[in-house]
Amino acid sequence: MTPASPATIPTLDFKAEADRLLPPGASYDACLACGLCSSGCPASGIDGMDPRRFIRMAMLGLNRELSTTPWIWSCTLCQRCSSVCPMSIDVSVLVSLARGNWPPERRPSGIVRSCQAQLRSASTSAMGVRPEEFVDIVAESAAEVRRQGPRFRRIQPPVDRQGAYFFVNQNSREPAAEPEELGPLWKILDYVGADWTYSSTGWAAENFCLFGGDDDAWRAVVEQRVAAVNALGCRVWLNTECGHSFYSMWRGIRRFGLDARFELDNLISWYARWIREGRLPVNADWNRAGLRFTVQDPCQLVRKSVGDPAADDLRFVARALVGAENFVDMQPCRGANYCCGGGGGALQAGRSGARRSYGRRKFDQIAASGADYVLTPCHNCHSQIEDIGRHYGGDYRVVHFWTLICLSLGILGEDERRYLGPELAGPGLPDRGDDGDG
Amino acid sequence: MAMAERTLETEVLIIGAGVTGSGVMRDLALRGIHCLLIDQGDIDAGASGANHGLLHSGGRYVVSDPATAAECRREGELLKRLAPHCVDDCGGLFVAFEGDDPDYAAGFGARCRDAGIPCRPLTPAQAREREPALGERLVSAWAVPDASVDPFRLTLCNLAHARALTGSGYLPHTRLEGFDLRHGAIHSVLCRDPRSGEPLRIRARQVVNATGAWAMAVARMAGCRGVRLDCVKGTLLITASRLTHGVVNRLRPPADGDILVPGGSVSLLGTTSDRVDSPDAAPPTVAEVDRNLAEAVTMVPALADARFIRAFSGVRPVLAGSGGRGFHLFDHDGDGPSNLATITGGKLTTFRLMAQRTADLVARRLGVDAPCRTADEPLPEAEAGRWTEPGYAPRRWYARGDTADPILCECEMVPASAVDAIGRQAGNGDAPPDLRAIGVRSRVGKGSCQGAFCSIRVTAHLYDRGVYRDRDGLARAREFVEHRFRGVRPVLWGAQMPQAELAEALHRGLMGLDLPDGDGNGEEG
Amino acid sequence: MSGEPRRHRVQLAVIGSGLAGCAAALFALERGLTTAQVGHSGALAYTSGHLDLLGVLDGRVVDDPWSALGELQRRQPGHPLARIAPETVRHAFHRFTAALSSLGIGYTTPGDRNLRAPTPAGTVKPTLSLPCTMAAGVTAARERSATLVVDFAGLEGFSARQLVANLGPRWPGLRCTRLDFPGMEDGGVLYPEAMARALEVPATRERLAGRIRAVLEGASCVGLPAILGIHRPDRVHRALQRALGATLFEVPTMPPGVAGIRLQEAFEQALPARGLTLVSRQKVTRLQLGKEEATLQLHDSYGPLEIHAGAVLLATGRFLSGGLVADRDGIREPLLDLPVQQPPGRDAWHRDDYLAPEGHPVNGAGIRCDRWLRPLNPDGRVVHPRLFAAGILLAGQDWVRQRCGAGVAIATAFAAVQAAARHLGPGDGDSTPNPG
Repeated sequence: MTPASPATIPTLDFKAEADRLLPPGASYDACLACGLCSSGCPASGIDGMDPRRFIRMAMLGLNRELSTTPWIWSCTLCQRCSSVCPMSIDVSVLVSLARGNWPPERRPSGIVRSCQAQLRSASTSAMGVRPEEFVDIVAESAAEVRRQGPRFRRIQPPVDRQGAYFFVNQNSREPAAEPEELGPLWKILDYVGADWTYSSTGWAAENFCLFGGDDDAWRAVVEQRVAAVNALGCRVWLNTECGHSFYSMWRGIRRFGLDARFELDNLISWYARWIREGRLPVNADWNRAGLRFTVQDPCQLVRKSVGDPAADDLRFVARALVGAENFVDMQPCRGANYCCGGGGGALQAGRSGARRSYGRRKFDQIAASGADYVLTPCHNCHSQIEDIGRHYGGDYRVVHFWTLICLSLGILGEDERRYLGPELAGPGLPDRGDDGDG
Repeated sequence: MAMAERTLETEVLIIGAGVTGSGVMRDLALRGIHCLLIDQGDIDAGASGANHGLLHSGGRYVVSDPATAAECRREGELLKRLAPHCVDDCGGLFVAFEGDDPDYAAGFGARCRDAGIPCRPLTPAQAREREPALGERLVSAWAVPDASVDPFRLTLCNLAHARALTGSGYLPHTRLEGFDLRHGAIHSVLCRDPRSGEPLRIRARQVVNATGAWAMAVARMAGCRGVRLDCVKGTLLITASRLTHGVVNRLRPPADGDILVPGGSVSLLGTTSDRVDSPDAAPPTVAEVDRNLAEAVTMVPALADARFIRAFSGVRPVLAGSGGRGFHLFDHDGDGPSNLATITGGKLTTFRLMAQRTADLVARRLGVDAPCRTADEPLPEAEAGRWTEPGYAPRRWYARGDTADPILCECEMVPASAVDAIGRQAGNGDAPPDLRAIGVRSRVGKGSCQGAFCSIRVTAHLYDRGVYRDRDGLARAREFVEHRFRGVRPVLWGAQMPQAELAEALHRGLMGLDLPDGDGNGEEG
Repeated sequence: MSGEPRRHRVQLAVIGSGLAGCAAALFALERGLTTAQVGHSGALAYTSGHLDLLGVLDGRVVDDPWSALGELQRRQPGHPLARIAPETVRHAFHRFTAALSSLGIGYTTPGDRNLRAPTPAGTVKPTLSLPCTMAAGVTAARERSATLVVDFAGLEGFSARQLVANLGPRWPGLRCTRLDFPGMEDGGVLYPEAMARALEVPATRERLAGRIRAVLEGASCVGLPAILGIHRPDRVHRALQRALGATLFEVPTMPPGVAGIRLQEAFEQALPARGLTLVSRQKVTRLQLGKEEATLQLHDSYGPLEIHAGAVLLATGRFLSGGLVADRDGIREPLLDLPVQQPPGRDAWHRDDYLAPEGHPVNGAGIRCDRWLRPLNPDGRVVHPRLFAAGILLAGQDWVRQRCGAGVAIATAFAAVQAAARHLGPGDGDSTPNPG
């Protein structure tokens, strides 16, 4: 028997869908064909496509071409096009629809498998980390942290603690691949005396179902998480350093009308608050060498959800950490920022050539800034910016906020410095004293 | 300074490059006869290009003009079979709404059957299922085999076929200045290029006047008084996107704004009908646009909020005193030169038959006994005719996957390769076509920006290609945007207003096209 | 999750983020007013970058815009520029160009004469001031310097051959060439924005300079499409000029170009740093003018927002930016339904000839104001003492045809801020502003 031929992609009527989904003043009919969308889109040119062509092809009825173009997997759904469009026309709505229109077996398998894994497990983890595994990994990693010194003796990450103020989520990448990156976060939460808990279910941050264009699956993942937070009675679902997790949860709750009996907030804003309140007394003394830092605004957090207040917080924290004189913005930035090219599931979509060509603009931005380090409060940004740095021969490093916070506070362990350069291997190591856990 | 006069020779000179003139040329070429076709402007500049593009089933005329209705039915069927690439066989509906004359609607089915037009009654629910855009107060509906046809494509295919058959040629921008009459016949025809002023003499054994609404004036230049026409101006509107699947006709005596015809990715609404004095169509007016809309929103309510991208007008030649849409072939026997024939009246749907009758006469006069073949011979699809089809250029561009082929007209997605191909295909050994000629032969300038951007990009491209070499290229750009504006002006409200504001900012503010040549270039004071 | 709006309280709320809105926010901050600005990206994105004051009057190109202002006062007393004292116009223009220069987008100091700047069409445009990155083009054209205009494979709508074909007869030293842009040689479409950002990278600049040097052949000036960086273009201009060893100038490009993006991004970063409450890329959905204060309601992506202000300055532009809406039966102002001065009916909006030197009557439509830039009712009474208006929303001007868009925006923004400050009174204006 010959293998079954791959499922064909149904043909969508994009103009009709645009009329159905977009507000009248911002319909495809309102397009001026001016090209501002494409001018500011790093995915322009990939597969010969760009946002304007997407709209024009919809208007011209090129439905077969739009239904099948792989470009939809290179658009990162970052919504920069609609934010610069004088008519506010949103291409990402139709790109998402086109993604969902591909039969699952034709969609990028990385995205599909990740989503399926999320639906299978009560963890909602795309990397298949099951609840009991998560609990074990947390316990083992915490023991490692405690061994770093006496001051970390109290590090006991709570799990399923009823009534905690914060429900803290976690991108699966840490427990699954780099558990040593968990410690800095716990140290910070411990430092400020936060009232927090993990949950054994619904703890994961990532949401690949959103990227697959599969609304039902997106909803299922969010529902699982909302149920976990409601069950523990936490006040705030605290998103850690991951961009799309915030958007997918915040937007998903609104879109699907879910009963979320808690607030959503993101860790960066709490860093800023704790610094302002003096509870995180960070400073830039460790950066006497004047290493230059820039920051990547995650589209999902800044442009697509919280807006410029999140960008302000990012910069406040960054400046406090590295010294205002050592901080430099990429241009453009904040709400006008370019997506790094790793968003929208691009890192799992397999098309690495297209993804890197997209990332070229980000690489140029970083190069123009002259920064030695890029701070990324988002895992996708982190991975993508590292990757394009390697690919295009950049000499910058990419680092999470929590790393620098612990570095500045003198509580960053030796094993927690994998993203720092050799020049930062030494400064501010915690005093080991006795063997900590002993 | 007098320019040297060129002389060309041919067997048949056809004046007027509309569908009929080009149809006569092809018909004669199929009989082995060499022709030259001239036009004061370019193809389909009169009524041929200024209509709905409706290939009538005949239903429209079953009450007022049963003979024309039956003719339309036969010709429509022929064209669908012989020129399918020019036709979108989308079907059509006749629909009556509350308040429309019930007697008119009641007799419709029987009259269609009398004219041999297949028609089928639909319940309002069935009709709305087929055309969801129809208004709520629909009371009765009939399905008929209406279709839409692209007259530009027809003409371009006619030209290409005639050229291939006998080397027959087409000369745009060749204005008739007079007839050199000798011994009761036309010895030669005097012409001039209105742009360059260059004179041209054409010697022909037979001359065909296929100038539509101008036929009366042309016939008079040859001393013929027998051609009497009424000039009827019609104004139509184009929406930015297609509103219906098929043709929608109001089931009532013909009036303003009662036909909506899909044209690829857009819809065409019309038409008004007003007697005018001159065949030179005045631009569409705001009042005409509003009259069309006032009526049409009952039929398709979405028209009230639709974005319109332009309006256009044409003057239809209607045989004086006939009141109908029939055509007439004047052999000028006894009232003019013995080698002149005038064909006028009629309509797009019947152009082939008009060409046949004309070519029969001309061939007989030339002593050629080859019969007409256009009723059997399929019209070959010409590469040059494809670019007028919405979506063709982008489909081809997308399939070729050549990212180095830039899109010059972003609205309609016409790439540079298409513009270059049109340049190659249109040239009769003459100068490559300018911006307007490219626009006529493609979708350039026909999208929602109406030339705001593509006028600049195509102009730059033509400079790059060496088609333009001096300030004349800017004059051509100015001419193009002025011409586009005539159609845009009466539909400037809603979404088209910001587009027009942006266009003016580009053409005046950025490009300085409004300032007199040279002003601002020299130092003052 | 709560749906409570986030609230801001300021003295002056500016609605609009075009040239007039940004100028107003800038002038208000300079005056020490607490200020908020809300606006969606509109027509500013399409600007050529030229700041014109009055370039054309009655179809004639204006050489001395200052004396032309006097003529304008006589011929069109209702023109917004005719109602502001020339010294105020000059002062506002200077302040504005100086502020831009401090942001790294240097502008030539407004002089007594209009400059004649080459356009991508190969024509020449009169303007009072232009970006320093474009300034050398004016001199090169005037002095007919040996100049090489470079265009790029893949950058549509910008043909160096077109410039030479049109300007060459009067500028014999003008030549052209076409190059590949470094790092973008794959034959795809090029956007000025992407090229400009790439030129902010020193290595890209070096490669481009190398390619141009190779074809310079004695040219002392080089013209490029406007691609010399977005952020602090002066720096990119200086660096590339140094690397070339020739005088360098930009020629504007058709949209989507960079001149407007430069201004937008510079304002979006610099003004908040000076204390502006900026809600960018959003539109106000409702504006209430009350006895005690004005309230602006809007949504950003996160949720509802409210801005409470002592005075409101409307700089919402025309049709392209949504400040005016054209319906089939008339033109309206969508936010407050202000009376719009307009021609009697649609048929009177436009002339038959598109590029007629007399211009289209609809371009004179807009909001009629008193000398304090307060919108007026048809009976001549002020609509509301807290409400001011500025920019091309104002009636009685034709900014495109008269080449006076920047002049109208800057001068009326300055005057409107001045009037608003007077209304707000000394000290603060957020509790009980003085009656107007």
